[in-house]
Amino acid sequence: MSIDPMPKRYVKGVGMTKFSMDIARDTVDMCHDVVYDALNDANTSMNDIDAAVVSTVDVKVTGERQRHYPPILTSLLKKKIPIIRVPAVCGGGGAAFWSALRLKYDNVLALAVDKVVGGPTTLITHEIMTASDNLWEQEEGLIFPTINALVAQQHMLKYGTTHDDLALISYKNHEHGSLNPKAHFYKKKVPLEKIKSAPVISSPFTLFDCSISVNGAAAAIISSDKTDVEVAGSGLATDYLAPFERDDITVWNAGVKSGKKAFEQAGITPQDINVMELHDAFSIVELIAYEDLGFCKKGDAKELVRNGYFNLDGKIPVNTSGGLKARGHPISPTGMAQVVEVVDQLRNKCGDRQVSNPKYGLTHNIGGAGGTTSVNIFKKI
Amino acid sequence: MVKVLRWVCEKCNKKWIHPVKKCIYCNDEIKKQIGRKTKVIGVSKVNIPSLLHPITPYHVLILEDEHGNKMPKKTINEYNIGDVYEDTPDTSESAIAVVKIKYDYDEAVSEAIELIGGLDIDENKKILIKPNLSIPGYSYLGMTTNPRVLDSLIKLLLDNGVKKENITLAEQSFFVPMEKAASKTGLNHLVEKYGINFIDISKTEFVEKVVREFKLNISKIVDDFDLLINVPVIKTDMVLGMDGAFENLTRFLKKEDFEELAKDPMKAVGALAVLPSVFPKFITIGDGSIGEQGNGPAMYGRPGFFDLITAARNPVVHDKAVQEILCLRKLPYVELAGKVGAGVYDISKIKIIGNELDALRREIDQPIGSKLIKK
Repeated sequence: MSIDPMPKRYVKGVGMTKFSMDIARDTVDMCHDVVYDALNDANTSMNDIDAAVVSTVDVKVTGERQRHYPPILTSLLKKKIPIIRVPAVCGGGGAAFWSALRLKYDNVLALAVDKVVGGPTTLITHEIMTASDNLWEQEEGLIFPTINALVAQQHMLKYGTTHDDLALISYKNHEHGSLNPKAHFYKKKVPLEKIKSAPVISSPFTLFDCSISVNGAAAAIISSDKTDVEVAGSGLATDYLAPFERDDITVWNAGVKSGKKAFEQAGITPQDINVMELHDAFSIVELIAYEDLGFCKKGDAKELVRNGYFNLDGKIPVNTSGGLKARGHPISPTGMAQVVEVVDQLRNKCGDRQVSNPKYGLTHNIGGAGGTTSVNIFKKI
Repeated sequence: MVKVLRWVCEKCNKKWIHPVKKCIYCNDEIKKQIGRKTKVIGVSKVNIPSLLHPITPYHVLILEDEHGNKMPKKTINEYNIGDVYEDTPDTSESAIAVVKIKYDYDEAVSEAIELIGGLDIDENKKILIKPNLSIPGYSYLGMTTNPRVLDSLIKLLLDNGVKKENITLAEQSFFVPMEKAASKTGLNHLVEKYGINFIDISKTEFVEKVVREFKLNISKIVDDFDLLINVPVIKTDMVLGMDGAFENLTRFLKKEDFEELAKDPMKAVGALAVLPSVFPKFITIGDGSIGEQGNGPAMYGRPGFFDLITAARNPVVHDKAVQEILCLRKLPYVELAGKVGAGVYDISKIKIIGNELDALRREIDQPIGSKLIKK
């Protein structure tokens, strides 16, 4: 086993757009905004940036398809530095951040942007489905809600998890998101009864088991200069693309492995974490993450959910931003927005949704149905 | 009949869902594992339409086979967890098998043939295969029969005891010298690879056959074989609507007859409708692996990537079912063939096996077309 070559790295500044269905903004416009915000937050300028890593999925349906994005950024940033693109669908932001951490430059800009909303739902659904296996999954009608619904069903059959448990996760994230000005559902609460009685999308999933597609961008500046937030641990792993190929559909091994790596690097255990952003593209994904990251034994997550363990006033608040569910899910920027939220939490900048003096925060970002997963642990210095 | 496919290294026990040949860990040979006894272990009812799956609700099942391997399967029908999932072969003239390719063309072709009850073949049977390789185009354009499909069919025949000297590919090109088409379409390669025969139909003798008001000069070779396997590529046609089982038979016509029909689309429709009746019984293996959509059948269309293999004993049933699957507006020659009793035209009476019609339907780019194919 080779040694993960991550040098000591800190977060210098972060920035993100509001995640919304604003179709008037192009990706370049959103990129420029978040770079500006992150540089200001870092109290620096583009002059100090040595390299950049960008993630975007090249969405076709909104007319934004621009595959060779690094030179577009060169044009936008007016700086001819090494820029690489790291696409990993919904896990792109996390994969870009993980890659940026391993570049041996003093200051690296990690950035993610996508414009997903702006075309017919049937086309967007298809576009997102292209992140699954062409012949085994796409041809068999496995849109992403269905892939995850079938995973949820297996979890229910095996461990007795109920749809009401999943509804509690959605409800929690909507409660949190209503407090986040950058969230799509800011100031828009969704009652638990509405969540439970929502229409079926792909059984057993209803509407509120699914995250909402939005447009947006997010950025972070990673530095070798010591700041108040250290990246204490960082892991990335992959798994088979299709859950049906895995021995146990309810275990997402990329999450297990990347989490283990991040905790080992940070030298802490799950119980040391004070705040987390988990990838809740679908309600079951957040529940499985509790188990795969080691916050409980396999099958026991439902008990913690029922007890409010992950609520804002619980032991370890999860998705204080609202998560993908209520902040919104613009594909690649999701993982970077998680970094923004956790860094802001560690800096006590989260207003009404602020967790009390957190020391350790964790981000967990997934591409596909567990195909690529990155986990980062941040430490308040 | 549904097949769950895996490729297994028996030495180190690794399994792949994609057809690999060598184990990259121990260099061992990979063996194909085929599961046939499947039961339902998961079901989701889907209410959200998408580009490839416009008809809702549909269901996606997780099937598990006797080896513990799993695969998803789309179906319109309702199933419960614990149910056995199986397709029953149908040998009738009103049946068509439609199989989705899962990377492995051999299994897709053999499954389609199994679903219509197999082929009546042995070592002494002489087999004539008629692909659509008449245009000098690479197969990735979807204008010609994919040589991977032909390769699988030839292998299946050889594996079932047919002698290579008894297998013949036949084609003629009305547009370019046959040698040119044979080179680009992969025909030459197949003939060389398997040592099978090739006949340029234009160089054969023709005999006049009269059917209704049409006098058609047909190559005599159609009577020299025990079995004709018609292997059209499924593609759109700006005049006829679609090139399928019927149109592929036109290359058995004398060139002058074809050119005469090409001048008058109405006459062509009439002739096409009765054309199958001058042939001995044949089966159709439709190549929808790539296929063509838009303003086919040549360079103005574009690849369809339908990922389908079809099999049917009756050309009306074949082309009508494919029309419905691809949501093509109108196929006048099939409609007419149905009216003259050449086969079952009523889609509700056509038995689609392997997949259900509504689980397969997707709207492809239509040919802009002539008046003939507009409703």
